[in-house]
Amino acid sequence: MSQVADFTDIDISAEELFNRINRSNDLLLLDVRNDEEYEAWKIEARNTPPTLHRFYGEFVEDEEAFVAHLPKDRPMVVVCAKGGASEYVADRLREFHNIPAVNLEGGMIAWGNFYRRQAVVTTEDYSIYQVDRPSRGCLSYILVSQGQAALIDPARHAQQYLDFLQEKDAELALILDTHAHADHISGGPALAQHTGAPYYLHPYDGIHPFDMLPATIAYEMLKDGMTFTLGKLTLQALHVPGHTLGLVNFLVTAPDGQAFFFTGDSLFINSFGRPDLGGQGQSWAPLVYQAIFEKIKSVVPGEALVLPGHYALHKEANEDGLYAMPLAELWQKNPDLQVGKDEFIEFVLSHLPTMPQQYIEIKRVNAGLSRPDEQRAMELELGKNVCALSTAY
Amino acid sequence: MTYQADQVLDCSGLSCPMPVIKTSKAIKTIEIGQILKMIATDPGSQADMEAWSRQTGNEMLASLKEGDKFVYFIKRSK
Repeated sequence: MSQVADFTDIDISAEELFNRINRSNDLLLLDVRNDEEYEAWKIEARNTPPTLHRFYGEFVEDEEAFVAHLPKDRPMVVVCAKGGASEYVADRLREFHNIPAVNLEGGMIAWGNFYRRQAVVTTEDYSIYQVDRPSRGCLSYILVSQGQAALIDPARHAQQYLDFLQEKDAELALILDTHAHADHISGGPALAQHTGAPYYLHPYDGIHPFDMLPATIAYEMLKDGMTFTLGKLTLQALHVPGHTLGLVNFLVTAPDGQAFFFTGDSLFINSFGRPDLGGQGQSWAPLVYQAIFEKIKSVVPGEALVLPGHYALHKEANEDGLYAMPLAELWQKNPDLQVGKDEFIEFVLSHLPTMPQQYIEIKRVNAGLSRPDEQRAMELELGKNVCALSTAY
Repeated sequence: MTYQADQVLDCSGLSCPMPVIKTSKAIKTIEIGQILKMIATDPGSQADMEAWSRQTGNEMLASLKEGDKFVYFIKRSK
């Protein structure tokens, strides 16, 4: 078989798979990992294709029986943990059973480490890019103006930002973390060490909320109202405690009058940041209300484009695939912003989902209190973030 | 605890899916009730061998970690 269905190759990369899933709905995913791995996390997208889960051990034991139960009318992408078992299964399905199957190259590891970058805006004077990690629903941002660059909430895979800045001939001038993350490992401290650019964090998030130990990473202290100049852009820090005590949002204004509001984990498109990941849901929930309904509402202009730190569902993206919405529209559309204070706080406290235990360890890593190797870092970051809370889910 | 193996299969250096494929073949060459010792270096083999044992009904007597090796004692049960 020279060409398998309309695939270009017998392997498909995570990026090609992502694009294809978003383009058409003709695929079948065949996930051959063991039950435990499959239950922990799986491929999700805006239109997740039908997924069949069958452990590859079944294929090894009785190939004919395995194949007999497979639908044969759809092109198939076979998925496993690292791409080995899925390659074996896909090769045999093609060669001996005439089934149009290809292998997800690098398996779930490749899927988990796949990032996509999209321009939010590009003008003569400045550009803003959103970097999305689809497997986790984590968003980070690259701002460039007049050869200078800032990163907001950079992810652990730091080289991609440096490569892009080199491509754009921009120098990294500023690294900002909106808060000490619980769901993923920040690339900020490593980038600062590597480039010499200053790394900023609010000092309240420089203390591990469970261990009550100070961070050992080097950081500059953010404070409310602080401003930064990046080429022609002005960034203003807004301290909005709630999700964490040190959560800071950035209101960025451009010379053309446009404004961008980087919310980290305060406001998401369809939800908001839960207050309990520091172990203090009860006392922090009212802070979340104050941050959103009092501070943000009174300070940030409605035309500012909200650029959040997370999404929970791929359908929160707009038609360009960007996770972005003007603040005024968010006040209308985000289901959680339509309620009063008591109702909001009561909802928060009665709907707090379980906190994944690894979040405490991730916070240690981000404070420099723990140093995982690559394998452990990957395990800690497995699966989708659960930073959001919403009536919509 | 260790077991007296009737056959030893060394899958050191092999990555997924080879340890499962080779174990599947090897177990069919011993008698029911006999024990296969399999050695692997792929950490992914732990969860996969457990899953394979549940799926095939061959009994996982022990799944051990010895240095950077993973050692399995599997009894052919059917």
